[in-house]
Amino acid sequence: MNWLKELIHPSPILLGNGKSIQPKRSPSVIIVPIVIFLVLGSAIITEVDLVALFKRGYQFFVMIVRMIPPNWSYYKNVITPLIATIMMSVIGTLLGAILSLPLAFLSANNIIKNKWFLNINRGAFSIFRTLPVLVYALVFRFIFGPGAFAGTLAIGLFTWTIMTKMLYELIETVDMGPFEAIESSGASRLKAFRVAIIPQILGQYISMMLYNFEMNVRSAAILGYVGAGGIGMLMNEKLALREYDKLGLILLFLLLTVYIIESVSRLIRERLN
Amino acid sequence: MIQFINVKKTYPGNVHALKGINLTIEPGEFVAIIGLSGAGKSTLLRSINQMHTITDGQLLVNGLDVTKLKGKELRQFRRHIGMVFQSFNLVKRTTVIKNVLAARVAEMPMWSSLLGLYAKKDKIKALEALDQVGILEKAYVRADQLSGGQQQRVALARCLAQDPQIILADEPVASLDPLTSQTVMQDFVRINKSLGITVIANMHHVDIATKYASRIIGIKAGEIVFDGPSSTLTHDDLTNIYGRELSKDDIKGDM
Repeated sequence: MNWLKELIHPSPILLGNGKSIQPKRSPSVIIVPIVIFLVLGSAIITEVDLVALFKRGYQFFVMIVRMIPPNWSYYKNVITPLIATIMMSVIGTLLGAILSLPLAFLSANNIIKNKWFLNINRGAFSIFRTLPVLVYALVFRFIFGPGAFAGTLAIGLFTWTIMTKMLYELIETVDMGPFEAIESSGASRLKAFRVAIIPQILGQYISMMLYNFEMNVRSAAILGYVGAGGIGMLMNEKLALREYDKLGLILLFLLLTVYIIESVSRLIRERLN
Repeated sequence: MIQFINVKKTYPGNVHALKGINLTIEPGEFVAIIGLSGAGKSTLLRSINQMHTITDGQLLVNGLDVTKLKGKELRQFRRHIGMVFQSFNLVKRTTVIKNVLAARVAEMPMWSSLLGLYAKKDKIKALEALDQVGILEKAYVRADQLSGGQQQRVALARCLAQDPQIILADEPVASLDPLTSQTVMQDFVRINKSLGITVIANMHHVDIATKYASRIIGIKAGEIVFDGPSSTLTHDDLTNIYGRELSKDDIKGDM
């Protein structure tokens, strides 16, 4: 048990010239047991069942095999909801991104000097941010009825909350020199923000918008499960009817779409940075 | 005319940056303010356009007590005062002309500023300002493509596009090499002489200050310890301002 004693109470290291130094105890002595405890605890609470995983896990592959070959003739029914899914994301992302700009302006601590205003503003918005997009979708479906409009609004509101935070954190890192210069020329803070800060963040703002768009396409695909429009509705239906060949085609289309959008978005973002 | 009447500035923690400054600067003067870092040069300069507020005393610009100005009145007043900075303070990711045009938004309606729609007369004014500092051909180049000296000229053009009566320059050549410093200072002199614009500059380098400014103000620990024509500044005055003998290294090389 000598190694355990060394871990908890490391002995001094002796140098050739007789000097010695006491090493610090490694923080992992405390962190590792805590992590093990948390992992085991979580496994028990979430009822992780390794036996079931071994016994039933292969069913996942059985399902995939049943999707092959996909039912190609079904494509006419897939295209429209797929485009609707993408459009929900496009409009929702644009809506959220545009609205995030004024709110980020009002939430950046290098622009707004009133601490009270700032904290109330940020606090209110961080409450909104705790809600996942599915919750918004459920609420909007309840208000506006099922369909893509509810999904678009949900994506818009979700993007608004996320991008506001990303943007004001970005604004807080810009060079304030130009802002000071324009303010000293007699411009209001809003005008100075427009000409001195927007050009500094524009590239990253667009890149942020694309990144959110990528995420939104993926979440738009499942919004249909709560009746908020898009391809998820169709997916849910085919899964329930066990029409795996049609489900296979839907998934293949979705996979390709997300892949293409991510590749194009990455290309543009690389150019911007 | 700029008049400081017993101007005081105290920072939180009882730090006295300005201890009762009395000073008059006539229109068209070229004044250099010298002194150690932390002596109060920057506070003095920035109090004129109220980028820093003062705690006590009166500060009159053309008879107007600027310490009383707030909001719209303050912004109106600032339009006639240009400012140049040590680090140029340009938006580096955008073009030279956009940087100069940025000085025009103060006078523009809100909607056209937000949309970035500049009138033709504003563009011509910006281009003329660039021409005055000799870099018209760089108008559509991105600011970060320019050398330090050229960037400072863009900053100067940005001031000129404001039609200023006064230019405040905070260490305008401190981040430039000696040769470029001289040419930028010559631009300041030319603008001071030909357009009659008052120039007040904080200077790090005594020799450049005395060479180009007609009047020197020496500040030490928030108080004016020298005020007179640059030709009358003696070695003893400098020792007094800086609190010690200046060595050859402190003076930025005889050009």
